[in-house]
Amino acid sequence: MNRFRRQLFSGLFALIVATLAALWLDARFHTLANYAFLTGWVLLAGMFVLTIYNVRKKLPFLPLGKSETWLQIHIYLGFFTTLLFLIHLNFHLPRGGFEITLALLFVLVSGSGMVGLFFSRVLPRRLATRGGEVIFEKIPALRHGLKGEAETLALGTEAKSPVIAEFYAKRLADFFSGPKNFWRHLVESRRAASALVAGLDDLRRFANDADRAKIEKLTALVRQKDGLDYHRSLQLSLRLWLFVHIPLTYGLMIFTVLHIVLVFGFSGGAR
Amino acid sequence: MSERLPAPDFDAQNYARPNQNWICGRACEGNACRPGPDAKGRCCATAECKPILELKPGETKGRWRCTRTGGACESGPLPDGGCCRPIAKCSPVPTLRLLRGRLTLAVIAASCALLLIILASPPWRNGFISPGQISQPHSGAAFAALAETNHLNQSCGACHVAGNTGPNGMVTAALHADPGILNLKQLATAHAATPTAIDESCLKCHAGRNVHQPDAPPVSCSFCHLEHQGKMMAATTDANCNFCHGDATKMAVSRATPVIHHFADDHPQFRFLTEKLRDPDTLKFNHTLHLTGATIPKLPGGEKLDCGFCHQPDAAGAFMRPVAFEKNCRVCHSLQFDPETPQLMLPHGSIDFVSAYLRSLPKQYSDLATKDGAADVNGFVTRKLAGLRAQFGSGEDLEQRVFFSTATFGPEAQIGTLSGATRSLFPGCAYCHEVTAAASGSPLITKPVQTEHWLAQAKFDHAKHLNISCEKCHDAIHSKDTADILLPARETCAECHSPRGGVADTCAECHNYHKSQLVAR
Repeated sequence: MNRFRRQLFSGLFALIVATLAALWLDARFHTLANYAFLTGWVLLAGMFVLTIYNVRKKLPFLPLGKSETWLQIHIYLGFFTTLLFLIHLNFHLPRGGFEITLALLFVLVSGSGMVGLFFSRVLPRRLATRGGEVIFEKIPALRHGLKGEAETLALGTEAKSPVIAEFYAKRLADFFSGPKNFWRHLVESRRAASALVAGLDDLRRFANDADRAKIEKLTALVRQKDGLDYHRSLQLSLRLWLFVHIPLTYGLMIFTVLHIVLVFGFSGGAR
Repeated sequence: MSERLPAPDFDAQNYARPNQNWICGRACEGNACRPGPDAKGRCCATAECKPILELKPGETKGRWRCTRTGGACESGPLPDGGCCRPIAKCSPVPTLRLLRGRLTLAVIAASCALLLIILASPPWRNGFISPGQISQPHSGAAFAALAETNHLNQSCGACHVAGNTGPNGMVTAALHADPGILNLKQLATAHAATPTAIDESCLKCHAGRNVHQPDAPPVSCSFCHLEHQGKMMAATTDANCNFCHGDATKMAVSRATPVIHHFADDHPQFRFLTEKLRDPDTLKFNHTLHLTGATIPKLPGGEKLDCGFCHQPDAAGAFMRPVAFEKNCRVCHSLQFDPETPQLMLPHGSIDFVSAYLRSLPKQYSDLATKDGAADVNGFVTRKLAGLRAQFGSGEDLEQRVFFSTATFGPEAQIGTLSGATRSLFPGCAYCHEVTAAASGSPLITKPVQTEHWLAQAKFDHAKHLNISCEKCHDAIHSKDTADILLPARETCAECHSPRGGVADTCAECHNYHKSQLVAR
């Protein structure tokens, strides 16, 4: 059993045990006088640990344990906190504008985290299967280079072919101008690139030997650009979920603080 | 100390720094400058080199030397030491990391701003922070009027001290809550249902807790009555009642009530059965005879006498109106004392009226004869009075017979007969009533008592039970004695009011906890 599987099994085991324990405790103690207060504090503690993972990443120089360990804790505690959230809500839908907003924020943060976990487990494997290691930050420069090569081939003054130039202007110029087919790549659809390659194949019947060589090169460039777009689409997805997860986490914490104030300020014990 | 070295093909000259906030504006063209933008996103590009001033011994002015990477340029440095080949500045672009940071700050700022705006505006605040709709009794026009009378805030402040204040007041109220925010031990060990500070707000309008047992332990109002659950306040559940009634320790102080969890399981039998109570009514009534007797006549409409003829629901439909002689009995029992003159009937309801009527019999016969257009009125009266004297003797004897006799003038089968000349013969008041003689010999009739509500601790609504027959619950057909209390046993109710029967079987379905009412101060 490799390390990843060992981590997975131990994490899942801990999660299952914690879940069963939480459900048993819920059934045993849910009639306590201040049960919602107690589950709320436990939930807050869990949310706090989850939130400081982002802080931990910003302080790599401090001896706070391996980031990998923190990530494992973050993942499994995230699932467990979702259960705590449901227990805190007593498995009922929230009522009122503020509580609905608060619950919605939690769902968005939790949901985006699960989407991020799914992406981080699936997309790297797909990228490795497709092949070609590309650094995300260098994709624009590589795309620019491919565009230059394609323009030179299709529109260069040396032995210019009107057929290729027209095809480039009509169909390839837009394709090379920027990132394309974000959603298609995410769902593993290659229809757009295949259509361009098919269009280039159709040009062969009107081309002489020199033009056929150009078409061969253009086809290779289209495939490279498509691969580049594929990498951009998947790598961007691996980064974009954090645009929901992290900002809303801080929004959630702000609403949570107010929730605590309101709960104690308006509870039975308030004077 | 181990340190990982970069891979052999690592391009140190073209190193991407994704953890920095800005990247060169020409990076997308593959021509990023080496220094890149500064931390604030300003382009740091100046010129291709930074010339160095070389001074030979004895020289004062010296000579600027080009330091361009890849070799000195043809033109060389400018006379003032500047490079002759300046680099055009770019517009650095933010990295995803910076954009994410900005979005995070925007979300934080927006959250704070939104909450401050809402909390600072009372109408928005109350609507936003309310965890659910207030029940109608606490939010309608009647509540507003009562709150005004009692000098209360008509909004959140009627119940919550913090509801009268802004953000500062909410924080202050939270910090002064008991148990306090961080008093986890007290939060964890607090006893359920213990009255809290907010109960005092309830008592501003509700006159005390008025529990069903004076010695019951004090229970917080909100333990049973959860507000903010919608227009209708959530019904009290069995769990609320079982807090005491399901707890043997708490119920140990009660000698009368055992531990109860569910109606169908361990609710005690009704006391009228366990204590074998009897109906104290002195009226003599035989349900069996009236419902099944062969001599019971048809009603004027031709229908058979049934429960519904005598037992009519009241306006609300919950209970039955008391049975009334004029409405329910006289149709058969017309109090006709003379078989030959069915038009003459004794009055009902007062001994004095009956006595007066009997003493005015000559006048009654005379009026009857006149009304019927008899030719010889006096002769008719004389003949009737003579007949009565022959049968009963004196007028006093007749009066004694009317009040005290239980015998019938004709066959018993004709007592209630509606047909023909022998319609409803009158046997005497004592046939139905308890008639006793006073010391003076005058009759005394015990007034019938009709108990409207036998199970005083429980609610019942006949209107909700119209889909089942009367006999299902009331075994009247086998009751020959007025003293029989014709109510069902607990098991009969539990046939429907149980999880098996599928009809609500909560405690609150039948019982009230409070004897409460609102007060205006």
